[in-house]
Amino acid sequence: MEAYFIAIGIIALIYVILSLGLTLQYGLTGLINFGHVGFFAIGAYTSALLALKGVPLVFSFAAAAALAGLAAWPLGLVSLRLRDDYFAIVTLGFSEVVRIVITSERWLTNGVQGLPGIPRLYEGLGGSAAQLAVLVTVLAVTLVGAWIIRRIAGSPFGRLIEAIRDNEEAVQALGKDPARFKVQVLVVGAALAGIAGAFYAHYITYIVPDQFIPLVTFYVWMAIIMGGVGRVSGAIVGTAILMLFLEGSRFLRDIVPGVSEVDMASVRIGAVGLLLVLFIMYRPQGLMGDYTKR
Amino acid sequence: MFYAQLLVNGLVQGLVIGLAALSITLVFGIARFPNAATGDFMTFGAYAALSAHKATGSIAMGGLAAIIATGVISLLAYLAVFRRLAERSVVALLVASIGIAFFIRAVLGVAFGHSQQVFQVPLSRPYVFGSVRITPLDLQLAAVALAALALVFAILYLTPIGRQMRAVADNRDLARVSGIRPDRVMIALWLLAGSVAGVAGMMLGIKTIVTPEFGWEMLLPAFTAAILGGIGSPVGAVVAGLLLGVVQEVSTPFVGFTYKIALAFIIMLAVLLVRPRGLFGRLEGAR
Repeated sequence: MEAYFIAIGIIALIYVILSLGLTLQYGLTGLINFGHVGFFAIGAYTSALLALKGVPLVFSFAAAAALAGLAAWPLGLVSLRLRDDYFAIVTLGFSEVVRIVITSERWLTNGVQGLPGIPRLYEGLGGSAAQLAVLVTVLAVTLVGAWIIRRIAGSPFGRLIEAIRDNEEAVQALGKDPARFKVQVLVVGAALAGIAGAFYAHYITYIVPDQFIPLVTFYVWMAIIMGGVGRVSGAIVGTAILMLFLEGSRFLRDIVPGVSEVDMASVRIGAVGLLLVLFIMYRPQGLMGDYTKR
Repeated sequence: MFYAQLLVNGLVQGLVIGLAALSITLVFGIARFPNAATGDFMTFGAYAALSAHKATGSIAMGGLAAIIATGVISLLAYLAVFRRLAERSVVALLVASIGIAFFIRAVLGVAFGHSQQVFQVPLSRPYVFGSVRITPLDLQLAAVALAALALVFAILYLTPIGRQMRAVADNRDLARVSGIRPDRVMIALWLLAGSVAGVAGMMLGIKTIVTPEFGWEMLLPAFTAAILGGIGSPVGAVVAGLLLGVVQEVSTPFVGFTYKIALAFIIMLAVLLVRPRGLFGRLEGAR
């Protein structure tokens, strides 16, 4: 039972790191990143491939963050001059292209067969001690990430990106270049997603392209919309609900007999869709958001 | 003449992309957001056609079912969700359309299962022109698509409601003060956008294999065609769809089958960078 809670905790924290990245990009800056899973995938595969070649995990994690951030950079330069809705389409397309490349370049990623046997973190500790150590590490990274985002939100930089979200023309009129700040935000958020991906790969130890479908992006969107957009507390609460939902749907299968795994997958997708629509319509500020406003 | 054959295949594929892009560009032009549920509207149309085809054995009945069912589901999506979000930001509409897409896919997955389904159409001897082979089925599909396109353009350019739709697309406030009722225009828009996506879904279903995910995978090429054609330009969407279909097919020997969608993405980026208003778009652009 304890092992189960540790396992849930690790996955939940990985999702918190992902939603922190999106909180920075969408919540604070207003960038509609529909391709978050692409950076997650880049981080996972980068760290996994390096570790399988024998690179120490410290460096493979750093490379995961760097490469995911680097991937966001040209994307940002190309598309940040675009209107919001076009940016959403371009990022969605980007994450699909990442998945296509991972699926097709068999020499590098082993294609649909995926990468098995990715080394775990703290392999030397063994068993439950290693699990606990992983949990503590992810927690530490999450806390640092949350602290950084809160600091950013309160800093002059934070006020500037929030101003970009609220009125981009006004920011331009004040002589600031919104595009530059948007690129920075995009890169930092993507690097966070890359780190989350690395944790994911080394925790699950087996990754295939099908784990990086757009649904993952929208899990994260659902988490931040449910929790309350633009708030660190919202990202955390939203992820907690998301995990309850994902794990709960697994138990539901044990209780209701005769439901196959594919049907359950459908039910899960349907519930995500319904929740996204309902929250956008009736509670766009999320659970942790301002209750006086709509 | 290997490439001539690819050209023919690409034209049929291009008609599917063009129809999907037409649906996207109509909604984008009039309701002002990129409808990410278009792909799943297509899937819905394909299953509707599949069911009708199984029941009656007639492709025409399948097409009719796709048009009606998808038009209705699209209208329902508008009445239940999009109408109530009309005054909100584009993000709200965009996220809601993703939610609707997921919901439709889930319902189809539960109702029809996840196994691959095909239209049982009789095989027939292709017509051979030199080295180019064209199957009667391709010709039928092309005829269906062209008929659908003719109907849509007739509605858009020859009827009062079509003129009103174009007026709203052109300038919403001006249309309103001219006495055009936005509600009627929107209902017509969503019926039309849904039906067009339904036809595209049926065509794609007949050409390939129907699964609950297969429409979603057309979303990127369809968006690319809509952007390449110029958002809000129905003619542009169809022309760009045909162009994209041909380019995808002809490039397959070079880039491989799996990179077809990636190619659409590259084209989309290039258009947005070099000419954001597309081939036939208006000046106010993507920036």
